[in-house]
Amino acid sequence: MATIQIRGLVKRFGPVTAVNGLSFDVTPGTVTGFLGPNGAGKTTTLRILLGLVSADAGTATIDGRPYRELPEPLHQAGAVLEAAGFHPGRTARAQLRIQALAADADASRIEDVLDLVGLAGAADRRIGGFSLGMRQRLGLATALLADPEVLILDEPANGLDPEGVRWLRGLLRGFAAEGGTVLVSSHLLAEVAQTVDSVVIIDGGRLVAQGPVAELTAGGAGLEETFFQLTREASS
Amino acid sequence: MTELVFPITAPRAPRGGFTRAVRIELLKLTSTRLGYGLLAVVAVLTPVWTSIAASRAGSPSGGPEPLYTAAGQTTIIAGGVWSMIIALVLGVTISSGEFRHHTATNTYLAVPGRSRVLAAKAVVGAIGGAVYGIVGCLTALAVGLSFTAADGYRLVIGAGTLADWGIGRMVGTALLGAIGVVVGALVRSQLAAVVGVFVWTLLLESLIGGLFGAARPYLPYTAATSLAGTPLGEAGFSPASGVAPLPFAAATALLVAIALTGALVAARTTVRGDIT
Repeated sequence: MATIQIRGLVKRFGPVTAVNGLSFDVTPGTVTGFLGPNGAGKTTTLRILLGLVSADAGTATIDGRPYRELPEPLHQAGAVLEAAGFHPGRTARAQLRIQALAADADASRIEDVLDLVGLAGAADRRIGGFSLGMRQRLGLATALLADPEVLILDEPANGLDPEGVRWLRGLLRGFAAEGGTVLVSSHLLAEVAQTVDSVVIIDGGRLVAQGPVAELTAGGAGLEETFFQLTREASS
Repeated sequence: MTELVFPITAPRAPRGGFTRAVRIELLKLTSTRLGYGLLAVVAVLTPVWTSIAASRAGSPSGGPEPLYTAAGQTTIIAGGVWSMIIALVLGVTISSGEFRHHTATNTYLAVPGRSRVLAAKAVVGAIGGAVYGIVGCLTALAVGLSFTAADGYRLVIGAGTLADWGIGRMVGTALLGAIGVVVGALVRSQLAAVVGVFVWTLLLESLIGGLFGAARPYLPYTAATSLAGTPLGEAGFSPASGVAPLPFAAATALLVAIALTGALVAARTTVRGDIT
């Protein structure tokens, strides 16, 4: 199974330094929460990792290679970055057919993942009529279609109802339990606390803390309190 | 929702090449309604336009030459080249639609090679454009033959010439479809690119062709329409005189060169940009 490695990552957008010398690892068999306040650089880091944004310095690799150089990228990493990233006039099933073709996955996988994410009944509806939660589920179906070794998710719980959040938690835990690598960005700290094994906390594009949740909260404070304390210290 | 059991076994296969990228883009095009809608526009606009022109043929108040002349029949059968403009629009939507609908992220996650995606889109734009060209050609021919026969005239244009025009229209629309993809990749804003297509084809080429007559055959939309047999100037709004259209091979080479140059520029500039 694959490891995510971020080393000395730097990204500037004009005068703004979005990511500033960031380094961390995400190991297989764990669900790692990627936390930080708005504008901390989480999404930029994930996009660099997935080859969508170019870094000014540093490296971001999956299984030792940049995403663009992976021999079978969809089999090695599944990602959900934006729930709105689907053509509104296309059906969910057609969207997954495109993904299956890209991954050279068997067409039977489409029914599997539709069933898995609870969209079997809406498969032939146009995505433009989907709720945010349904789009998130479709994004997860897209990411899981090629049975990847790594899952990279940006705010995947957005728009999910309580049942969906609970289902997502089970999905991520099950994926990691089978040796998969999960990096999940979220601002829902209470939810993250129930899902992840370890966290990477960043602020201002820099690493603030990294480690198992149990270690970071060993002093008795919860994850939420620890997060605020660490980001306050980093800002001051 | 079902209980999740990992690993879900999916068959592994080697990473796809260019053919797969083309199939993906073709599936994208055929799984939404826009391509079919634009085809319907071609199927409706071409006969309407050519019917209006045919009904005015030989009119003393202006319009095309009489339908018993080769010039009159040419204007009708080789005119109505809306399929060319619509092919450009199709190409623009194929590439700029990725940004309008925020689908570029998923596209580049599936096929990280961005130049390969651009090339695949250009091929699909060409395929779609060729289909539009065939529909435009057949409808214009049907209208032209119907009006000519209804007026009791015989067709004075040879079958070989008609076949050349048909092939030319297909090649012209295919190349404009590919050029549209490149335009959409360079501009990214779908609205701006589509407006730009209409302004260029219907206004600027007429203006440039009117001011600099010698340059007219080399203007891309005019060169494409001349492949279809359209007399110079009749695809725009300014007449042409004393200037011959480019030969078939030269017009084709010009359009290919425009598509390739634009694609190279796009691949080195906008296509390489960050997807944020």
